[in-house]
Formats: sequence, C-alpha cells, structure tokens
Amino acid sequence: MKMRLINKMRSVRMDREGITLLVMLAVLLLLPSYFHGNQYIMHILIMCLVYSVVAVGWDFMLGYAGIFTFGQFGFFAVGAYASGMLTLYAGMPVPLGILIGGLITAGVGVLIGLPCLRLKGAYIALVTFAFHLILVPLINSDLGRAMGTGGTMGLLSIPTLAVGSYSFSVADKIPWYYTLIGVAFLSFFIIYRITHSSIGLAFVSLRDSEPLAKSAGVDDFKHKLMVFAISAFLTGVIGAFYAHYVGIVSTRILGLDIFLLVMVMMVIGGMGKFPGAAIGAFIITFLNEALRPLEEYRLLILGAIVVAVIIFVPEGLMGALFPTGRVGPGERFGHFIRRTFTRKPSKNSGKELL
Amino acid sequence: MTHEVAEVLISGIALGSVYAIMSVGMTLVYGVSRVFNFAYGSFYIWGAYLAYLLFGAFSGMSYPAVFAIVIPVMFLFGLGVERVICAPLRRKADWQMLTVMSTLALAIFLDNASLVAFGPHKKSLPPLLEGSMNLGGFAVSTHEIATLVIAVSTMVIIGLFLGRTRLGKTMRAVAQDGIGARIVGIRINRVFGYAFALSTALAAIAGILLAPKYFMYPLGGWTILIKAWIVVAFGGLGSVKGTIYSAFILGIAEALVGWHFGLQWPMVFWFAIMLATLAIRPRGLFGTGE
Repeated sequence: MKMRLINKMRSVRMDREGITLLVMLAVLLLLPSYFHGNQYIMHILIMCLVYSVVAVGWDFMLGYAGIFTFGQFGFFAVGAYASGMLTLYAGMPVPLGILIGGLITAGVGVLIGLPCLRLKGAYIALVTFAFHLILVPLINSDLGRAMGTGGTMGLLSIPTLAVGSYSFSVADKIPWYYTLIGVAFLSFFIIYRITHSSIGLAFVSLRDSEPLAKSAGVDDFKHKLMVFAISAFLTGVIGAFYAHYVGIVSTRILGLDIFLLVMVMMVIGGMGKFPGAAIGAFIITFLNEALRPLEEYRLLILGAIVVAVIIFVPEGLMGALFPTGRVGPGERFGHFIRRTFTRKPSKNSGKELL
Repeated sequence: MTHEVAEVLISGIALGSVYAIMSVGMTLVYGVSRVFNFAYGSFYIWGAYLAYLLFGAFSGMSYPAVFAIVIPVMFLFGLGVERVICAPLRRKADWQMLTVMSTLALAIFLDNASLVAFGPHKKSLPPLLEGSMNLGGFAVSTHEIATLVIAVSTMVIIGLFLGRTRLGKTMRAVAQDGIGARIVGIRINRVFGYAFALSTALAAIAGILLAPKYFMYPLGGWTILIKAWIVVAFGGLGSVKGTIYSAFILGIAEALVGWHFGLQWPMVFWFAIMLATLAIRPRGLFGTGE
C-alpha cells in the first residue's frame, strides 16, 4: 500500500509548472500570518484566488487548447446565478448548490461548445462573446426576472457557505481564504494533470497544427468538447463560491472591466504558460487596487498596459522568466511527425536529375 | 398603414446602407490581412465624437466640412494604429490571437478615453438635412435620404477604388494570395496598413451617419461591432458582394422587426440570425468557404 503510494507520487513528475505551483501554495498559506488582522488585504487575496481560477480556466481553453473563447465570464455568471438561485429558492445546502451550479455550467459550456466546434478562430470568439453580451439583457429582462434572477437589482441575500453546523461569516475571512486556496489549487491540479496527460498532449498538438494532429488520429471534437466542459465546470464552481462569499450577484460581474482585467492577467502571466495566468491574477488584482484612486483613468491605463505588454512581452511573465529553451510537447510532436513523414533529400538527388 | 410600412422600409434601407459601409470595412481588413479588429466599434464611435467636437468647437460647421476633416484624420489614425499595434505582432507565432487581444485592449482604452472626455451620457449630432420631402405620396425625412445617398456613394467609391485603381487592385491581390503578392513585389505590410486605415475611415463615416438618429455613448460601438460581424458572417466572410446584400437584408429586417414587435427585439433577431447562419450555412450566403 505504502509502496504504491510512493510510486504514484513519483509518477507525478516535478517540473517547472509543478514547482511554481508549490511555491505559490507555500507563500499563500503563509500570507495570513502577516495579514490576518487586515480585512481589506484578506478580501483582495480572496478575490485574487477567485480570479486566478477564472484566468487559468480561460488560459486552459485559449492558451492550451487554442479555442478562441470569450465566454469565460458567462460561465462565471451562470455558476454564480445557478448556485445562488438553487440555495436561495430551493433551500439546497450550499456545498451541493455549488456542485450542481458547476455541473449546470458544464452543461452550458457543452451547449456553447457544440456550435463553436464547427467554427474556426474569430467565429468562435464571436459566438462566445455574443453569449457573454446577451446574458446581461437576458438576466435583466422580464424573462430573467420570472426565472428568479432578480433583474437589475441582482440576486440578494444569497446564503453563506455552511458545512455541517459550521457556517462561514463575512467578518471572518480566514476560513474563506483557506477554503478558496483549497478550491483554487484543486482546480490548478486538475488542469495540471490534464495538460500533463496524453489528453493534454492531444490539446497542444491540436493547437499547434490541427490538420497534422487530426491526420495522426487525434479526435479533436471529443477533446475540445471536453475542454469546454472542464473549463466551464471549474469556472462555474468558482463563480458559485464567489456568489456565496459576496452574498450578492448582479450583472456587474459581466462588466467589460472585469473581462479586460482577467484577460490582462492571462497576458501578463503568459498565455499557454501554466500557471502564469494564476500569477498574473495576483499581480493585476493588486495593481488594480493600487490604481483605484485614479478612478475613471484606471481602465484607460490598464488598457494601455495590456497593449504595451502584448507588443513588447507577448510571452508574458512566465515566458520571460523561463524562455522556451526546452522544446514544448506540441513542438516535439510536430518534429516527430515531420521527421517521420517527410523524406530527406539525399545528397546525390540533384546530380541524378541532371 | 402602407405609409408607415414605407417609412419603415426606407429607414431600414438607410440603416442597411450604413451597415454595408461598416461591414465592407471589416471584411476588407479581414480579407487583406486576416486581422480581426475588435476596436472597430470604438473607431465608429470615435468618428462620431470627432464630428461632435467639430460641431462644438466651430459654430456654423457644416457636414461637408466635417466629413472633409474627419475622414483624413481617422484614416491617419488607422494607419498609425496598424503600424503600432498590429504590424509588430505579425512576426510572432500566434499573431492572430495576439492582435485580437491587443485590439480588444485598444477598444477598452479608446472607450474609456471617450468616457473620460465626454462622460457617460448619450450625445447626438444634428440631422444631416432638416425637414422631410414628398416621395411619390409618402413623406420621407430628408435625413434618411441623405444617409442613403452618402452611404451608397461611399460604397460606389470603394467599389471603383477596388476595381480601377492600382492600390485597390493590389489590395485584392493580397487578399487572394498574400505570398503570391509578395513574390510579385507588392509591399504587403504597406497594403495591410492602407486597408486598415481605409476601414477606420469607413467606420468613422458610419458613426457620423448613425449618430443623429441612434445617439452616441462611450460603449455604443459594441452593438454595431457585433452587428457588422453578423452581417459579414451572414453574407460570407471575404465576399464584398455578399456583405452588401446581407447588410441591406438585415438592415430592412431589423427596421421591420423593431417596428412590428418593439424595440427590444432587433437584438434577439440579430442573435437568431447569427446562430441560424452558423448552424445551417457557416460560410454565409455568398461565402466560398475557407
């Protein structure tokens, strides 16, 4: 039994991503011993964790699977509203509500994914962004109000997280913080395991050269639909946690400013460079708080920062810290296919022709 | 009843002609350089705001003068944006995704700049022409007629430009085969820049034409961006002819839907069209497929 466990642990190869994650985890676990008295900092740290899951889930689709989706905050909102409504109206226990909220979001993800998989590039961006944009009028409309979204007022007095007889309170952020560390790192671990499995290799090969991967027998439909489901599930779950933590959900979570912020997190951290997006989430959330005194100039400056980062450091922080000296799995796959299927011109071939 | 229908039809045709300008600009940039410009809606609203500034700054400003100033300014602006934001990214491996991201960030930058400069409230431009005229028994506002005339003549000019001039032919060559165009000595980076600049100017014209009736506010470009996108998708990506047909079809349909069912429904109609197009015929009405 013990041997099997050790073998299993050995099989989790410790690489750059894993080590970065462990360092992050260690730092985050220690932070409350300095800041536990400061409610404001603890709140920002919790929001960092929430956004880091959204950013990593998005990066999983965009950076790894190469699916050009802009619907991530739609998933976030679906999870938040679903769990909020289930616990508020159906009296469901909160942990169950969060789980079912995540599953509903995964279903929505599959529904959005199905038409997207017939499309390419910018078209996928259109459909998913349209999904994001249409959610706001839908939630605020009479139809949405009839469904129980609370219309423009939003969903108020969502019950807080309670496990057994213990109930989390807004005043005490520490339990929330540690719970969300658990949720966030479980999400990271799931994505880490997937990207390091054969499925992850399939994603990367699809992203780097779709025709080549398909001709090598990679089932793109199945894999991409899975990406939609998994990413939507994780984002929906964290959206649900957010709803129960804040207690109020309105269409403000679908605002373009938050959308831009999370995109910035991904770009700053490094697209397709897990867990760069998570690190980006921490940098940008704190930067955003620091820029708050600038009020309406804040988004202006953030927009300019993103443009500059994309132009000058398109690989992001993780790309700058760890330049791709090592050939990535996708490239390795490509090299392998190229070596296997292309004939090397022999030295004499020219002479023979003449 | 028939009067009302005729009025709705004419405003629909005028709307469609403006959508046509917008969408042709979008399909031009995508066809030539494969850049998907998310800041296109912000260019649209900036064109309108620029006209608003001109009307505010000089009393007795007239529309011909406004167009004469706004079009070259926005053309140069587009040229600059392409040079700074899109051209450097083209060398990168996943440049298409990077340009989408950078133009999206630019859009949010521009929108917030107009929010800082003009505030969140809706602004409007004076109508192109005051009053109405009698057209075969129907009273039609001259503003609609002027919109239609300007939009159609813009399209005719674009058509002549693409068909007759050297630069226009070059653009079509690059759109058909970028590598081939480079082999025969076309400086494609320059052509990309001109196509982008031209589309920026077209977006600005569309912004000025729609601002008197549909108002302008900092985030006003997003709806029109999505609409132009749907027009392009419905007509067939890369097909100028298809884009123009679909702009008129959808413009008229929007006016009819809004008139018959109420003002909330046109957006639902747009999304229904988009989903139907993508589900039934993803390459659009006239698209040749990619």
